[in-house]
Amino acid sequence: MDIVILKDILTVVATIILAPFIGGLLTGIDRKITARMQSRSGPPIFQPFYDLFKLLGKERLIVNQTQMMFVIGHLFFAVAALAMFMLGQDLLMLLFIMAFSSIMLIMGAMSVRSPYSKIGAQREIVQIMAYEPVLILMVVGVFLSTGSFMIRPLFSDMFGFGKPLLYDLPLVFIAFIYVLTIKLRKSPFDFSMSHHAHQELIKGITTEFSGPQLAVIELTHWYELVLFLGLITMFFAQPVWIGILIALICYFFEIVIDNISARMTWKWMLQATWIVGIGVAMTNIIWLYLK
Amino acid sequence: MDKYTLLALAILIPSLSAFLCYVFNKPWVRNVIVFVTALLMFAVAGGFVYQLLQSGGKIEINLEDLHLPFDIEFIFKLLDFVLLAIIADIGMKRKKPLIVVLAIIQGVLLLLFELFGSVKEPHVAFVVDYLSLIMLLLVSVIGPLITIFATGYMKEHEHHQHLEKSRQPRFFAILFVFLSAMNGLVLTNNLSWMLLFWEVTTLCSFLLISHDGNEQAVKNGLRALWINMLGGVAFVLAIIFIYNALGTLSVEEIIRSKMTPVGLFPVGLGLLCFAGFTKSAQFPFQSWLLGAMVAPTPVSALLHSSTMVKAGVYLIVRIAPVYSGTTLGMIVALAGAFTFVMASAIAISQSNGKRVLAYSTIANLGLIVCCAGIGSYVALGAAILLMIFHAISKALLFLCVGTIELEIGSRDIEDMQGLFKKMPFTTVIAVIGMISMLLPPFGVLLTKWLALEAAVKFPLVLICIIIGSALTLVFWSKWIGIILTVSYHAKYKMEKLPLAMWITMAILVVAIIVTGVDISMIFKAAVAPFLLESMKGVPETILNGINGLWLVGDSGKVVGGFSSIYFFMILFLLFLLYPYLYRKSKAELLKPPYLCGANTEEDTKGLEFNAPADTVDQVIVHNYYFAGAFGEANLTPWANFIAGAIIMIMFGVVI
Repeated sequence: MDIVILKDILTVVATIILAPFIGGLLTGIDRKITARMQSRSGPPIFQPFYDLFKLLGKERLIVNQTQMMFVIGHLFFAVAALAMFMLGQDLLMLLFIMAFSSIMLIMGAMSVRSPYSKIGAQREIVQIMAYEPVLILMVVGVFLSTGSFMIRPLFSDMFGFGKPLLYDLPLVFIAFIYVLTIKLRKSPFDFSMSHHAHQELIKGITTEFSGPQLAVIELTHWYELVLFLGLITMFFAQPVWIGILIALICYFFEIVIDNISARMTWKWMLQATWIVGIGVAMTNIIWLYLK
Repeated sequence: MDKYTLLALAILIPSLSAFLCYVFNKPWVRNVIVFVTALLMFAVAGGFVYQLLQSGGKIEINLEDLHLPFDIEFIFKLLDFVLLAIIADIGMKRKKPLIVVLAIIQGVLLLLFELFGSVKEPHVAFVVDYLSLIMLLLVSVIGPLITIFATGYMKEHEHHQHLEKSRQPRFFAILFVFLSAMNGLVLTNNLSWMLLFWEVTTLCSFLLISHDGNEQAVKNGLRALWINMLGGVAFVLAIIFIYNALGTLSVEEIIRSKMTPVGLFPVGLGLLCFAGFTKSAQFPFQSWLLGAMVAPTPVSALLHSSTMVKAGVYLIVRIAPVYSGTTLGMIVALAGAFTFVMASAIAISQSNGKRVLAYSTIANLGLIVCCAGIGSYVALGAAILLMIFHAISKALLFLCVGTIELEIGSRDIEDMQGLFKKMPFTTVIAVIGMISMLLPPFGVLLTKWLALEAAVKFPLVLICIIIGSALTLVFWSKWIGIILTVSYHAKYKMEKLPLAMWITMAILVVAIIVTGVDISMIFKAAVAPFLLESMKGVPETILNGINGLWLVGDSGKVVGGFSSIYFFMILFLLFLLYPYLYRKSKAELLKPPYLCGANTEEDTKGLEFNAPADTVDQVIVHNYYFAGAFGEANLTPWANFIAGAIIMIMFGVVI
């Protein structure tokens, strides 16, 4: 029993330390690839880390005293969600914890009287409304396929299910990749905050965060990125390197989509996600019921 | 104290206090009465807890053992008719023929039933098991707390009204009658006595909703009255059908009988569910609960949390074991799930805080009904837990909105911008209340999680719950964002609240956290014994460790789970972080928000900017309300139509 707990603690500590490196590195590669697609040479791959340290060292300008608490909450709950994933906890509850993390950022953005960050926050809420049902349907699909809500721990009991989840859940996987575009703030769904310069809302939901606050938000994004790629590996994971490879391919695919599409409106997104996303996932789930 | 005395006290103490409140006009006397009654009701509830633990899970109270000098059954019947006469009289005075007709139908049906039925009343008149104990605790703890809050609130409320003569004696008298009827309703084992308590709550809710006496109040009160009378007629019919089929009115025996199509028994069950729908304001009967918002806040808090609407779901949950797994159960689940998703959708379009709360109540009741309909071990557990958590959180939220309304003179969410500055105490409490409604690790979300995991075998119900819970997130987070807005250079000012008001809110917020942390204990101590008792052959179990809830499947494998305690720790850490961050922030580092560089110099709020032609303008940002997509006027007719169809299907199935 004690050894199990010790192993869990080590897993969590390793996750907390390693995930930002992976996430930051991937973000750096993302920026490089994006730049190449736009015929620029792009920043060095380690640029995100330089940015992070620079932001951390900046003056602690604030718009009010509560902002930092929300930002730290945003980080804590994202880390908790990733830890839940690594420990093989309940997948549905993981989604709710992720939602808590997003709500924390929204509260932070709405806590200031800035029109840009407030509208950004409203749009973020719309995004949650769009992708949350699809994510929950994904969990339902996983349950129908495996008979359990618990995630199989990533680096142990790798062959627990026998066949990859993808055999049972091809459409659910497509729907998941679809909503991932929203979660990763990629075009055409990057209207609450865009990684690219200049949009109509300045920097959207993050307009009023600066210096260390922005650094924490960036760090949270890296944790989230690792978690999402981890969720992709969940569909394959046999052996683990195939899962990781496919997760990376999916990430590349998201980058391509980001670069070839224009930003849409939230109404379009809501309709498209509910009809296509829910429709596709539901189709898959219905045949699982009938099987 | 023996069980007979406790029972008598549970029902009679509030009635006596009602009488005393009505007689004594002096405010301080009334406050003393309210306070003492609250303590006594807590004590009686505690007494029942002790008795139940002593007796091993069930107390049966047979009034025949007492050899009462009078015929109590006759008194109950007499009261039934007196009550109907009062209601018919109200209908007559207010020129509402519908109410008179409904009262007469009920009276005639009851009379025929008594005359031709030669009714055999059950020997055991009152049964206390874990479900009734949970309800009793909700009624006898939250109810008196709200009444204490009301002593502070009503003074301010009437101060705004400029009345010549205080109407508080009447108000508090009705509140206590209400609580007394609720206690009776959850304890009784006799279906026809339950009807009496049921109708008393209907009458009381009319009197309370129309308390302020203006046109709107009376109109909405009458609507509540006729809708609930409709449910009452269904209840009477259900009694007649069930008695004809089974020959008993004992709730216990009805539950024990399997769902066999004996005569009109299934129809009777359907009618009971219908009555529950009206009382719990399920679509298409939601309009009365929305109208009830015109009443003073303590009334809303009471109707929405532990009493009235909970009576409806109590009945549905109580009889759930009978129809569990049948088609009727499925339809009930669908009706609840549909209400859940529609109410959540409409809530998004509302900017009136109380209406948002009302729709959220309707949605949560829908979820309870849905879980009861699914009827599996996990689902029923979720339904009961949700009843507990929803009652506490919603009571608190209504009290918060009432307090806010007294202070800022509006219940519109948009007017609550920057509330944190004006009322820090109420805001923090309201935010905890709201978070407890939608986010883990608090109880309401845990039950939503259980509901989802229980509904996973029923696609139609499932999709309703999934979309509904996504919509829930939207309207709460919008509201939380608004009240937490703090302008730069805010000057915090602690609000001054009457003792009775802030202490109730503080107690309720502590209750939310304690019940949230102790969810596994609550489940183990009160919910699981009830489930084991009422569900024969448990197929799946909720394993409850010391730190959360864990679901175990048939094979003994853990299916899902959550250690909520760690997340409470994270929240607690965040809470501790705030004072530290506050002290660390230096004044010179505070900057106004970005307004394209056009901020005015002397503005301290960060709202004003230099507009064209040398004028100064203010930034105004509203929340999104999606009136086009989720507007009340757009959705309600369709929702009512579909919900009506579902109810028709329900009756079609049982006939």
